Amino acid sequence: MSAVANPGFSSLLSGRPLRFIAGGALIINGMFPALWILFTSLKTEAELTAKPITWIPHAPTLSNYMQAFSDQPLHLFLFNSFMVALLSTCLTLLVSVLAAYALARLNLRYRGLILSLIIAVSTFPLVTLLVPLFEIMRTLNLLNTWIALVLPYTVLSLPVCTLMLVSFFEGIPRDLENAAMIDGCTRMGALFKVVVPLCAPGVFTAGILAFVNAWDEFLLALSFNSNPSLRTLPVGIQLYQGEFAFPWPVISAALVVGIVPVAVLIVIFQERVVSGLTAGGIKG
Amino acid sequence: MSTTSTLNAASSADRGPPAWTRWLDLGDRALAVVLLAPAAILLALIIVYPVLRLGYTSFFSLSLTSGLPAEFVGLENYSLMLEDPVFWETTWNTVLITLITVPGALLVGLALALLANLPFGVQWPVRLSLLIPWALPLSFAGLIFAWFFHSEYGVVNDVLNRLGFEGIIWFNSPNWAFAAICLTIIWKTSSFMALIILAGLQTIPRSLYEAADVDGAGRVRQFFEITLPLLKPSIVVALIFRTITALQTFDIPYMMTGGGPGTSTATLAMYIHQNTVSFLDLGYGSALAVVMFALSMCVTAVYLRAIRTKE
Repeated sequence: MSAVANPGFSSLLSGRPLRFIAGGALIINGMFPALWILFTSLKTEAELTAKPITWIPHAPTLSNYMQAFSDQPLHLFLFNSFMVALLSTCLTLLVSVLAAYALARLNLRYRGLILSLIIAVSTFPLVTLLVPLFEIMRTLNLLNTWIALVLPYTVLSLPVCTLMLVSFFEGIPRDLENAAMIDGCTRMGALFKVVVPLCAPGVFTAGILAFVNAWDEFLLALSFNSNPSLRTLPVGIQLYQGEFAFPWPVISAALVVGIVPVAVLIVIFQERVVSGLTAGGIKG
Repeated sequence: MSTTSTLNAASSADRGPPAWTRWLDLGDRALAVVLLAPAAILLALIIVYPVLRLGYTSFFSLSLTSGLPAEFVGLENYSLMLEDPVFWETTWNTVLITLITVPGALLVGLALALLANLPFGVQWPVRLSLLIPWALPLSFAGLIFAWFFHSEYGVVNDVLNRLGFEGIIWFNSPNWAFAAICLTIIWKTSSFMALIILAGLQTIPRSLYEAADVDGAGRVRQFFEITLPLLKPSIVVALIFRTITALQTFDIPYMMTGGGPGTSTATLAMYIHQNTVSFLDLGYGSALAVVMFALSMCVTAVYLRAIRTKE
């Protein structure tokens, strides 16, 4: 008990076998649902309805994936989700870079007030605006367009991204910008040629958060787009359910296809995502 | 700031930037207006105007199915709401989901964070196991867990059977369906809690624990007197965020039960969606939304106060 290397509760579990169990529990908790869906997507209908149920598929098949693409325009759902997420991410980044620069660098009189407002907006329940947004999009003839989703998704991520970028920008020494301006850059030139490249990791993290937010959103996508060819993945995935039948292997295959893009993003950039999430979470 | 402006003046004097960019060389205040304008316009269009419009519409009878023009009815939507049992039921469900899943996710998240803070040789599998549930869309989680809790082929009942229990027909009984929804929400949201708490844990200096060891404080006491108090700021922020998103619960019950059986697992957000998108009753839908807006503004007020006292 005299070891001090493992603080707090950790030392209760510092033995190797216990650490192994702890790691196993974490991994099962995090991965099992996704893994289960993967297993289901590889099973045949016959295996699925066999009792007792099997865990690991006996005769893995890819036919559910074929069917997922042929029963519904899954490629269109993917494309719509991707485009809506990409467009809103770009717009979020552009708008939040500009706003964050103003908040980080210009000596604004109402800086504290603006920051409080941004934090208040970050907690805003977008659900409550379903009716007015629906009316606005209807009046502007934007229902059944990507824009009807891109604009609200941008606002959804704007507060967190702005707050994150403010803290990143504050970490860049002013001298670097001043040097660029002596070399003939305008202030905006210095922002985009010096500050943004130096903050690239931060900007990138903000971008991933915005992308995941948009990729995940369901309620507005469900409400504003009734045209089947404009549906995003979360909305499209429901269409596999027949009136009485639930083709679970096909639904699972479609889910796996929908999970893979974001999972790849997360696997590659996991450290940045964690740092961004916690910075955004703690600061706002 | 005077150095910056002299530098600016100097630079435009010798080999200044292209003329078309010159208009951006504004004073601080004008530049701030230009830079903040896009964000302000977006917020005005997507938040401020809709909020005003929401309050306004809630005083009208406006149903797109009737084809009648909007008619001012004062507080009628609100008095209808007070007599509407489904409103009370969905509001109660929403509050109950919040009261169950927020503390639930906090406890599970705290446990996950403490486990993840162990000195593992390889960090990435642990990090990934916390990130995957966070990145999984709520609607996907709802579908996946609907399959988990499937009465015949679900893995949950399979495990129950193997342990010698009877399988449960989860979605036929209001209470079991509600339990399944809460478990799913806790699973989905506890990882984010864990990530925030883990970041807090990693900022606690080891020397504090070493000092406590010297003083002879036990592990449990160290946890309650060092770890928890120092984690408080990160926990408070995570809790408030979770509370606000819990009040908006929609995706998971919509996907798992569709609100059923009956309306026993429907949330306020689902009822707003039904009135607005399915019934096209915008007046009543707005009045419902005003209630949810008020609920979450209360939580936000608590949040802003918590941040201010922290500073």
